[in-house]
Amino acid sequence: MKKKQIYIFIFSLFTTTNIVGQEIINKDNDSVATKKKLLNVDKLNIGLDLYKPIYSNLNNDNLSYEIVASLRIFENFSIASEIGSQDKYIEDENVNFTSTGEYFKLGFDYNLFNNWTGMDNSIYLGMRYATSSFNNKIDSYTLRNPNSYWSDNNVFNNYQTINHSNQNGDWIEFLVGIKVETIKNFYLGISLRLNRLLSNTIPNNFSNLYIPGFNKVTDDNSWGSGFNYTLTYSLPLNFNKKASKK
Amino acid sequence: MILRSIKLILLFFLIISCEKDDICLEGSANTNRITIGFMNNETESLTSISLINIRGVKKDSIIHETINTDQLKLPLNISSNKTDYILNYNDIIDTLSIKYRAIHEYLNRGCGFISNFILDSSTENINNNHGWIKEISIVKDSIFNEEKTNLYIHF
Repeated sequence: MKKKQIYIFIFSLFTTTNIVGQEIINKDNDSVATKKKLLNVDKLNIGLDLYKPIYSNLNNDNLSYEIVASLRIFENFSIASEIGSQDKYIEDENVNFTSTGEYFKLGFDYNLFNNWTGMDNSIYLGMRYATSSFNNKIDSYTLRNPNSYWSDNNVFNNYQTINHSNQNGDWIEFLVGIKVETIKNFYLGISLRLNRLLSNTIPNNFSNLYIPGFNKVTDDNSWGSGFNYTLTYSLPLNFNKKASKK
Repeated sequence: MILRSIKLILLFFLIISCEKDDICLEGSANTNRITIGFMNNETESLTSISLINIRGVKKDSIIHETINTDQLKLPLNISSNKTDYILNYNDIIDTLSIKYRAIHEYLNRGCGFISNFILDSSTENINNNHGWIKEISIVKDSIFNEEKTNLYIHF
């Protein structure tokens, strides 16, 4: 059932590219013909995720943040990376725990959007390899007990909290995103991610129900999901090219 | 253009919302009860016994009104390391005080934790002046399932 939807999703990505491809390309009207180089390092984007700090603040967690960066090396191809830190209190069905950790993602974005002259927006597909180092601290949990004779509630929170520290996980992300230039050199973007867990350490007498950066981990499914909502600043690196623009 | 993007985003969230819930399957491991066998002190063999009004100390509700069996399963109090049961045999009342250590075991997200127990050797009959219980012997101190008898009450 879920697999089918993933395939539909992947298929839908291709349909979008066709639609985008139908837009008129106006390259010939450009008065300045720029020479195309194979490697064209011309832009560095640095930005912040806007959602995570606000969310962590609203939920009285410690500050969570994500810094994003991408370096354009070909016309439509960028090396991209995210570094983040997360602190989140999670109330699950049977366990309440706090997940804290840092993560690092590295990969690429491929732009599918053909801009009109002077515009610089993008719809892109990307992939990341990601790794996270984190702690999951159990604050309280319920005991599964079919006999209610002795216990009215089976919540255990007067125990010493159990800290499962030094956990690791790594995964691959497939993402789709859009980025729109709102003010000159400032971009608002959103990216949606499907994560495929490759491996994670298994703590003694617990399992990693949440991995910072990966998000919720389900028992018998290695797929997860996530998103970010970013504000980025674009730093032009190719000054000659910029000067040639009117 | 924007419409397409929105459609794409909606499709993505549809996938996310279709995520399967982790449910605890029926038949998963559970917190187990203690299994008590009754043994005739003279013949040293399992013997059926008739007990009435089995209840926990300081509890108003009765867990078994009458039993007539050679084996009895009783739940342990998971928020304590001691569970006391009042056993009434022919109107003679003895109190079985079961002492143990709880070990909480993680199963999975859906089921959470269960409790296993290790019986303490100080498990005893509290009022043993002229009671019907002659002796209590622990034969298996770990309670990880309900298949094996954990202790015998000799009468």
